[in-house]
Amino acid sequence: MDPSRSIVRKVRFDASPYLFILPFVVFCLILLLYPVVYSLALSFRQATVETFVSGDMPFNGLTQYQAALADPIFWRALLNTILFAFFSILFQFTIGFLLGLLFQADFPLKNLCLALLLIPWVSPVLTAANIFKGLFNEAGPVNRLCHLVGLGPFPWLADPGYAFPATIVANIWIGFPFNFILLYAGMRSIPTDIYEAAKIDGATFWQRVGYITLPVLQPVSVAVLMLGTIYTVKVFDLVWIMTGGGPANGTHLLSTYAYQVGFSVLNFGEAAAIATLMVLLVVLLNLLQLLLQRR
Amino acid sequence: MTSFVISGRWWYTVAVVIVTAILLSPFYWVLVGSFMTAAELFGVKQSLWPQHFAVENWSNALERLFPHVRNSLLVSAATSIGTLLIAAPAAYGLVWKKPRGRQVLSSFMLVTQMLPAIVFVIPLFIVFSKINIVNTLSGLILADMTFTVPFALIMLSAYMKELPYELVEAAMVDGAGPLRAFVVVVLPMSLPGLVTVGIFSFLIPWGDLIFALSLITESSLQPLTLELYKAVGQYGIDWAFLLPGSVLTAIPAVLFVILASRFIVAGVTRGAIK
Repeated sequence: MDPSRSIVRKVRFDASPYLFILPFVVFCLILLLYPVVYSLALSFRQATVETFVSGDMPFNGLTQYQAALADPIFWRALLNTILFAFFSILFQFTIGFLLGLLFQADFPLKNLCLALLLIPWVSPVLTAANIFKGLFNEAGPVNRLCHLVGLGPFPWLADPGYAFPATIVANIWIGFPFNFILLYAGMRSIPTDIYEAAKIDGATFWQRVGYITLPVLQPVSVAVLMLGTIYTVKVFDLVWIMTGGGPANGTHLLSTYAYQVGFSVLNFGEAAAIATLMVLLVVLLNLLQLLLQRR
Repeated sequence: MTSFVISGRWWYTVAVVIVTAILLSPFYWVLVGSFMTAAELFGVKQSLWPQHFAVENWSNALERLFPHVRNSLLVSAATSIGTLLIAAPAAYGLVWKKPRGRQVLSSFMLVTQMLPAIVFVIPLFIVFSKINIVNTLSGLILADMTFTVPFALIMLSAYMKELPYELVEAAMVDGAGPLRAFVVVVLPMSLPGLVTVGIFSFLIPWGDLIFALSLITESSLQPLTLELYKAVGQYGIDWAFLLPGSVLTAIPAVLFVILASRFIVAGVTRGAIK
């Protein structure tokens, strides 16, 4: 064997993993890491229309954070974000769990139903947002149903007290399939003989669910809840399309509020500060869940 | 699993079909509503089926949306291909050679998934303005890739971890270089994973609103979602346009789900749990 060739082979062999990764690393540095750092830096700078055009964006410390925290709409948006996440996840998880149980059995048309139930989740959020904008229209189907049982009509999207729950309902619809599919898969991996044994010992269906399914499923549940929290705090399109944060800024989430401050008010510095606070919120919520899980 | 709940009975199927129908009723509404006139849609007598099919809703919507569908197709296809070109070799390189610093990269991918879009939108808008790629489709494609690449890397790494690497080594022993081994052995074996990731990387930009809203103000370049978003104006909503448009926007995702539900269940579970 030609010695020089084997050396070449050896050098190529060692460098190649890095060549495979190189485009990705470049992408990460320019389009992921740089924006994140830029956003953080921007939150300490005065970046408004004037400074953006002149291009100097002077450093002004915590001014943007102070401005954000002094704004009552920020606090409303923060509270909304937490309530939105809590109620979305509560119902998404419950519906997903019950559907997961329902689909443990094998029956005709099972795969078709399972595939169809994924539609709300894989469809673009815009579709769901427009659907619920229509369903909650003053003269729409929801008010028709309310009328049938002698209630309403309710000003669903015209009053923040109604519009906010309406956005939560829409988000539950978008997110339940994700919970369903993961919990379903988790339940499938529980060995059947545990259930058999419990059944022989006389455990009822709900006892088997409570004493076997729930505890064994715990790691999957925790993963689902944490992913759900991350996704829900990120929700933007749904509320932006359904209500635009209104009426009277009453349905803003932190995401829509930050966007409004950035792209309607054109105060990029303050929007970046709100974005940073959002990231802190996600981190806090996840730590909280980890702590609760340890208990 | 048959012992867990009573099954195989016709009434069980009926019950599940009813539950599925209730959960999907909002989708039924938009589908049927897209063939109704606004007067019928929100009129005094609302029906579950159009009195006469207002096909003109669809033909008008399609005519108005055609250029925007083209933009969306272009952006989604380019994002999907670009994502695979970057993420597939990287996932292989990370899993195969376990280079130093790969833990940092993987954690960074997870962290970027947690960050809200606004963290990327503002800097990208400012930087893209400076280098004059605001109002270009390539700018939008790059922005969309900040969503798809981290996701693709996580999914593909999980997938490629399970490949039989003896085959790669065998190819190398037979004289194939690393690139050839990757193209001839690794890529074909990862095909199901690549297809799933490719489709998701198509659907994510297809449904994107926030990047298009921020980066594309030139109306001839706007994707489908943005044109539909704009249809909700100050002076009321043109439902006869909005509903067919919303259905149209959902078509790629619905097709995908019906054709590939098995892949999704496996892929999602793998990526999320492991």
